[in-house]
Amino acid sequence: MRVKIVEGVHLNVVPSKQFKTTHVNIQFLAPLRRETIGARTLLTSLLETSSADYPSQNLLSAQLEKMYGASFGIGVSRSGRVHRVGASINVLDDNFTESPLLPEAFAFLRRVLFRPLIKDGSFDAATFARERDNLAIYLNSMNDDRGTQAGLRVQQTYFDDPAQAVPSFGTAADLGNLTAQSLVDTYTDMLQNDQIEIIVMGNVDADHVADLTRELNFAPRADLNVSIPYDQAVHGGIRLFQESEDVKQSKLNLAYHVQTDSFGPRYYAAELAAQLFGGSPLSLLFRNVREKQSMAYYANASTNLNRHIMMVQTGIDAVNRARVEELIGEQLAMVANGKFTDGQLEAVRTGMLSDRRAALDSMQYLSDMALTAALFPNRVVTPERELELITAATRAEVQQAAAGMQLQAVYFLKGETK
Amino acid sequence: MLKTEDYSQSGEVVQTDVLDNGLHVQYVYKPDYHKTYAMFTTNFGSIDNSFRLAGDEEFTRVPAGTAHFLEHKLFDKEDYDAFDLFGKTGASANAFTSATQTSYLFSTTDHVAENVDILLSFVQDPYFTDATVEKEKGIIGQEIQMYQDDADWQLYSGILGNLYPTHPLHVDVAGSIDSIATITPDMLKTVHAAFYQPRNMTLTVVGNFDVDAIHNVVQANQAKHDFSQLRELERGVQPDYAADSILPYRMQTLPISRSKAIVGVKGLTEIPDNRDGLRQTFAVRLLLEMIFGDSGAKYLDLYDQGVIDESFFYEFTTGRGFNYITLGGDSADPAQLSETLINVLTDYKDSPDFTPARFEVLKRAAVGKFFASLNSLENIANQLASQSFSSVSPFLIPEVVEGLTFADVQNAAEMLVRSEAISVFHIHAEEEQ
Repeated sequence: MRVKIVEGVHLNVVPSKQFKTTHVNIQFLAPLRRETIGARTLLTSLLETSSADYPSQNLLSAQLEKMYGASFGIGVSRSGRVHRVGASINVLDDNFTESPLLPEAFAFLRRVLFRPLIKDGSFDAATFARERDNLAIYLNSMNDDRGTQAGLRVQQTYFDDPAQAVPSFGTAADLGNLTAQSLVDTYTDMLQNDQIEIIVMGNVDADHVADLTRELNFAPRADLNVSIPYDQAVHGGIRLFQESEDVKQSKLNLAYHVQTDSFGPRYYAAELAAQLFGGSPLSLLFRNVREKQSMAYYANASTNLNRHIMMVQTGIDAVNRARVEELIGEQLAMVANGKFTDGQLEAVRTGMLSDRRAALDSMQYLSDMALTAALFPNRVVTPERELELITAATRAEVQQAAAGMQLQAVYFLKGETK
Repeated sequence: MLKTEDYSQSGEVVQTDVLDNGLHVQYVYKPDYHKTYAMFTTNFGSIDNSFRLAGDEEFTRVPAGTAHFLEHKLFDKEDYDAFDLFGKTGASANAFTSATQTSYLFSTTDHVAENVDILLSFVQDPYFTDATVEKEKGIIGQEIQMYQDDADWQLYSGILGNLYPTHPLHVDVAGSIDSIATITPDMLKTVHAAFYQPRNMTLTVVGNFDVDAIHNVVQANQAKHDFSQLRELERGVQPDYAADSILPYRMQTLPISRSKAIVGVKGLTEIPDNRDGLRQTFAVRLLLEMIFGDSGAKYLDLYDQGVIDESFFYEFTTGRGFNYITLGGDSADPAQLSETLINVLTDYKDSPDFTPARFEVLKRAAVGKFFASLNSLENIANQLASQSFSSVSPFLIPEVVEGLTFADVQNAAEMLVRSEAISVFHIHAEEEQ
């Protein structure tokens, strides 16, 4: 249930008695722009570690401990053309505490989000410098995990638009131009202009939650005027990016363009095609590339259909590169050409349905669904609708979806032992 | 007959039974949930590198990585793959091996009975051939290589090597390319017969299912198997609480951007597998929270000085025959990090954060976090399964933690924080050429 609190600010309540905690998630939505990604990411680090009422990280953590060990975090992510900053807190349900924690959770979020550690138009200089340095170190060390490195590089190779090509949390180079003053502008812009979606889930009363939300006193603002999906035009030829490192296992990652709609029949047909191709232990990649041919320790596919892409990630021996690439192409062609049994398709479908039903036990999934529904107000996005469309997708539609997947970019991290 | 244990404080009820063949079963019915999660666990892990059955004179030694290899191989049958059987019903299956246990699991929203039957049967009916065993060596070889590229894994492995150099805990769960090369189908059969006896195993089912009906399925399934020839198992691996074997320091270099340090503290005293042991374990965890937790003055001091960052971690691990503390993180100067952490730990009595008042707040937070963790069926099942060979239920954690006193934490610190038990491992980032 989505209700308007003021213009541009909506509350989405998901009542449930299933869990022992209550989840509150405040999402700030802005158009994705290359130049603000790094600033918004650093802003989350500052808000997460300091505020006027909790000027240092240990005081902020101590407050959460007093609330029976509540968990809290702020982070960024990307949904197609939208950049999101999300602040969330989970507190115990009243059954397990002496006094209700939900009002305290809202009060905590209000202090952290509305009373940052800003004085005379600047964030605290020491906090700013430390968080900027820590974030730079963290971003510079991302590639120490080779799987992450390969995933980020293939995305960089695929996308032309720099805002899509970089990670959703930006790069270390972004941080150099930021100052304790400039981040105040980033903060003010986010607080005043971003579309706000608030999701509250748990054993709650909708009216009570609406009252608590109004007390946050968000000013009215315009709704986001951006269509979320990002669809890069298909180009001829395949882009290749290769590098070598002193590692034992090589990584071969591929990125495909996917034709799809938003949460309609084509969306779920594409999801099914990707699952059959490489999404589960029943998939062709797992079966044929990993198990039958022993050509990879892992080989799987995942989609981001808001960005019209499918990624394949594998860990292999460098000498097998050409053979693995050929095998991957063959598996996708098999899906497109219908070279799979009805039994295989039905097993993958049953698995997807089962996974979606199982996800009803996850607060994260239910909260994400509520957010997605809010982001696509003109679409029906519910767990039930997902099950319906997965069930309805035909063999022909799955084949057609696979046939429309076009390889656009290949990244190879070649392991070379020194 | 199912026995009911009601843990009212946790809001959970467990039904248990021990079958005639010795298999221990435990069920938690969760009617508000959609899925069911089942886990079949054997008390056999990577440290179990030798054994003897009643009547044997000699111990049989097994190569490093055998438990993990066996875990992979059990899915593979003569004319089918167990993944397929689960998959046909929409269930998803998985398995994992730790130092002391191997677990096989599925989760599903439908056909629970059928999947329980598949789970029990595929784990208890082994099928190995030369060809499939050889092929698996390639797959696991890749897995081993991947871990060799993982700096955090190497760091952890490095400190275990320092603390337990003469104990199999220092060997990676997957073994090495050389050790698994010697594995044969016969070896796997022998090991399976020894360690996969029902009395060495537990079945844990958590979720939305009919407990009585599933219990009947389990009993019927087990009645089909003949376990009459089984012999008593004796493990060769011994506990390791010795200080004299500890290597105080080692380091290695890797092609990464940021160096890493880890400090290990080897437990020199056994922590029993009962309620008292659970008390001691949580006393140690609270000790670490008090002096290293991010709500402390010391944490802030170290964070502001740049000695620690978000990568900082601390952990207390207990298992069959061992227990140890690990703490560390990333740092441009790993020696400074490890020295500082050792000083804070050994001077815990002088820490501004080591106070009875802070202890009370952290105790309440620990109980709150435990309740929150019960949102997840996986978490409930994992906790129940990993505790299933001990005599105390994880659902007693809130009661045990609430009963802890500051004196308990002081005692735990006295027991564990000893200079002769401390070791350091560094990974230096390779200089860019």
